[in-house]
Amino acid sequence: MEKISQSVVKKDHAPKISGRSIYVADYPSEGVLCGKILHSKVARARIKGVDVPELPEGYFYVDARDVPGDNNVNIVLDDTPVFCRETVEYIGEPIAMICGPDPAKVEEIRDACIVNYEELEPVLDFRSADEKFFDYNFGHGDVDKAFKEADKVYEEEFETGYQEQGYLETQGMMAEPEEGGRMFVHGSAQCAYYIHGAVKRVLGCDSDGVHILQDVTGGGFGGKEAFPSILGCEVAVAARKCNKPVRCVFDRREDMEYTSKRHPSLCHYKAAVKDGRVTALDIDVKFNAGAYSTLSAVVLQRGIIASPGIYNVPNVRVHGWAVKTNTTPCGAYRGFGGPQTFFAIEMLMDHIAADLGKDSLEFKEAHLVKEGDVTSTNGKYHFPVPVKDMIEEIDKACDYRKKRAEYKKPQSGRYRRGIGMSMYFHGAGFTGSGERDLIKAVAKLRKYKDGRVEVLASNGEIGQGVRTTFPKIVANELDIPLDRVFYDHPDTARVPDSGPTVASRSLMVVGELLRRAAIKLKEQWADGEEQEVEERFKEPDFLIPFYLDKFEGDAYPTYAWAVNAIELEIDTYTGRAKVLGAYGNFDVGTPADYNIVLGQMEGGFLQGIGYASIEKMEYDNKGRIRNNSYSDYLMPTTKDVPNLKCMLHVEKYPEGPYGAKGAGELPLVGATSAYLEAVEQALGGVKLNHAPFTAEDTLAVIEKEGV
Amino acid sequence: MAEIRFVLNGKEETYTGSLSDRLLDVLRDVYRCTSVKCGCKEGECGACSVLIDGTLYNSCCVAMGAVEGSSIVTMESFRETKRFEALEKAFGELSAVQCGFCIPGMVLAAEALLSKNPHPTEDEIRDGLSGNLCRCTGYNAIVNAVNNAAKEGNGLW
Amino acid sequence: MVNGYIARSLTEALKIRAEKDVVPYAGGTDLMVENRKDVEYLFINKVPELKKISVDDEYVRIGAGVTFTEALENNDVPELMKEAVSRIAAPAIRNAGTFGGNLGNGSAKADSVLIEFVTDSKLCLASEKGERIVDVDKFYLGRKKLDLKSDELIKEILIPKKGIDNYSYEKVGGRNALAISRISFAGVFGTENGRIVKAAAAFGAVSDTVLRFKDIEEKLIGKTIDEAKAIKDEYLKAYAERMVLTRGRVSAEYRKSVCMNLLKEFLSKNGI
Repeated sequence: MEKISQSVVKKDHAPKISGRSIYVADYPSEGVLCGKILHSKVARARIKGVDVPELPEGYFYVDARDVPGDNNVNIVLDDTPVFCRETVEYIGEPIAMICGPDPAKVEEIRDACIVNYEELEPVLDFRSADEKFFDYNFGHGDVDKAFKEADKVYEEEFETGYQEQGYLETQGMMAEPEEGGRMFVHGSAQCAYYIHGAVKRVLGCDSDGVHILQDVTGGGFGGKEAFPSILGCEVAVAARKCNKPVRCVFDRREDMEYTSKRHPSLCHYKAAVKDGRVTALDIDVKFNAGAYSTLSAVVLQRGIIASPGIYNVPNVRVHGWAVKTNTTPCGAYRGFGGPQTFFAIEMLMDHIAADLGKDSLEFKEAHLVKEGDVTSTNGKYHFPVPVKDMIEEIDKACDYRKKRAEYKKPQSGRYRRGIGMSMYFHGAGFTGSGERDLIKAVAKLRKYKDGRVEVLASNGEIGQGVRTTFPKIVANELDIPLDRVFYDHPDTARVPDSGPTVASRSLMVVGELLRRAAIKLKEQWADGEEQEVEERFKEPDFLIPFYLDKFEGDAYPTYAWAVNAIELEIDTYTGRAKVLGAYGNFDVGTPADYNIVLGQMEGGFLQGIGYASIEKMEYDNKGRIRNNSYSDYLMPTTKDVPNLKCMLHVEKYPEGPYGAKGAGELPLVGATSAYLEAVEQALGGVKLNHAPFTAEDTLAVIEKEGV
Repeated sequence: MAEIRFVLNGKEETYTGSLSDRLLDVLRDVYRCTSVKCGCKEGECGACSVLIDGTLYNSCCVAMGAVEGSSIVTMESFRETKRFEALEKAFGELSAVQCGFCIPGMVLAAEALLSKNPHPTEDEIRDGLSGNLCRCTGYNAIVNAVNNAAKEGNGLW
Repeated sequence: MVNGYIARSLTEALKIRAEKDVVPYAGGTDLMVENRKDVEYLFINKVPELKKISVDDEYVRIGAGVTFTEALENNDVPELMKEAVSRIAAPAIRNAGTFGGNLGNGSAKADSVLIEFVTDSKLCLASEKGERIVDVDKFYLGRKKLDLKSDELIKEILIPKKGIDNYSYEKVGGRNALAISRISFAGVFGTENGRIVKAAAAFGAVSDTVLRFKDIEEKLIGKTIDEAKAIKDEYLKAYAERMVLTRGRVSAEYRKSVCMNLLKEFLSKNGI
């Protein structure tokens, strides 16, 4: 194992395990007003007015009229209001915030507010919804010709549902007016500078008028990429009006019903097959964006870029669209569009293989991309594709081929077994030219007189370990003990904008900036002096520039690769599935810390297994999320899986620190299709096309197919 | 106002609020035991786990009237023990702590388990921790850490 | 404002129960989720008389304040009951949740109540005026409706000692821990001299109360296994007709399919 990969005790281990870490809800309440949001109770309506009960002294009603600047939250577009405009567009949309010292009283006032709605017909049926937020087309080759010449054409629709991030700490933000009119906003978040940009616009102040601190954050998984910008604006507006600190921490139901989650999807695939090979794909990907566009543009981009999978198909046409419905806006969640389309392509390949009388694995292997091949967007796979080797490693770990053959034989009795495999990538870092054109990351190192070195960057520790891995990289280059390097939670008042904590980019992109900064610092090192060095992002030379308008070029500089296998047993009397083994082989380049990276793989993999099986969330015919609690939205417990078997295959990326690539999202992306392939096999070779695939779904298939 | 007498982290306390107040809220707001986290308020996540008379409870599902005469331990005092040290070391060696929000509750669940069963099997560990959701780790590292703590902390439990 | 009462003995608890409008608080695991602001609790979680498990000639008597964990650690509690309560939620809930609370909450999803139904358990209800014994199925009057007078407390659950060794138990939850039953099934079977003397089958979490159809069970009583086989279809058809199930997080159809599968499995396990 390389030196950098050797595990250390994480820098935030002691404060977290001892319960000393202060999360946003843990700051004392003295002098802090509690803010609670008055949420819309209807999916679409014109607000005629709100009857607010008489407010006791010290209590405030805050709404759009109190926004000093622009009532639009800056995300990708600006359509998300801080507080609603004249209409509300989904159940849960913030109408106002009630603030006051006593939480119970605030809640009482909030519940006594009477909102006069003039109800409008909401759009709830995602299938028929056609108001497009985003619409992209791209492809290569001659698709029509390939279909004309095909031996056989396959057509199938795949559907996936919501997935809730389920971080244990709910959303929470706090704003504190400071002397001189500056606003201090802090809380549970991934992207301090996103919040900074949003709040300064809403308060109508310049960059120095507001600063953002990321507090200790109890999990993000994408759910705290954009939403904290919205909540941050709300508490900032409230704190400005009340002229007191205001804190708003969501309860679990609010969080599950009203904050962003993974986009439900409908993926329609058409495949042309000639001489046993897929020659063309005609793909239509539709995402349910919800009521506002938030991050749907970028989620959709990543989803459609991945839609042909990791297969070399010469002719591809992709249409992707994200439509508006009057439901909770969807947003970022680990994998960011990839889990939906990889599910579709993996199942499609599996189904075509079955129809051709071939095994799924053999068929997929015959189509694998390799180094030098063209990507879906006419970019290039610049580096070796290690998937074939990774398949062999998985096969060795779980005897995949043998079990696959064994379980293919007719089974009888109550319990039936199956095993399935998926293979996929996660494009490392931002999609397209975002890193070059939008983020332009800057990272710094500050050396103090006593020789300690501080990392100055804006990437937040959300459990993934950057408070440890960043200092590890710096200490390694400087060749000084790890305890001499530290990285505090970022405050925009004192750290440069090294970009958001998203897209599996922090370690690969910012970690490399820090490595280079450390080299620079070492060259200049002068004992007893305070020194500062800075590094700025530079796009790698080898990249084929990406143009969003043409949807062409290298969407990613490199890819993290994975092969998953899941073995399970179905109880044909109840439909319940028992995972017997889950095997994940992940290539995220060189691990910056073996245990930390393995922990990312295991955690993400289990989220993927949950997404495949038990994590079901739906809205009712009024547009209200039904599964709004931890008892109604089920995430895996310790007893739902055995120890997951994760391994790391290392294919180094020369532009990442020590060869590291994006890691955080990869493990979630492909579990679903491995799981469903296994279910299909256990049920005697049926074809399945939606996820999550629950016990109830399984029993329905058993009854329908007479399994 | 009722008076509820109980011992919190070794110190005698008298609470004078309502008997129906939630132990979780009282621990956090009145006694500033902020290691006790609020995850769901319905007994479905374990982030608010505490030990009452040595037994594991979700403090969100306990009313103050129920703790009259009881002794409550939260991480605020458990972290001063040798057993904590063993768990801290084992969790640290496997990087079993990610976001940390579930962890104080998880560690108290491990303590409750090991107090009853000093040498648990993997299945017994998984059962002992089954009321404590963790969304970060996939549980491997946590389960393995508890297993290691049980082995290396031989005699502590 | 008095905001609740802490009882230290059964006598004290029954006195308060008679005089005040209170909600008995045993384990709190359901009450604290409901978190009703308009009620006063009567805390009976430390009443010693309710914490006992004892055995007489006919019954294992479990105090209403006994927690599921305490039952699991007791040697007298029947295996069938242990198996069911071992699957409840997770340790912290089992440490708090009680047999009395499981009954008093009135839910058809209560895992211990299913076992009480299938074993023909009885309940001892106490008030200042005295005690009365009711059959558990008579105690449930409908959805969340109980035969419990405003001055009464559930004191004990009386589980028959004999004839419940040959049992089946299945819990279908959404996951393996922290799972509320979506369907639960318990069956008790017995033969004497080659003839069926008991074929109890109970279904939990699928309707307003636990379902048990004693008249259908009667069809098998007195039959040999071969005779039972001969009427198996008729028996199953009778169940299929009678089981009108409600939907919850899963559909009524799914519940019914699973119930019928588990019932068939119960028969086949006993040779039918």
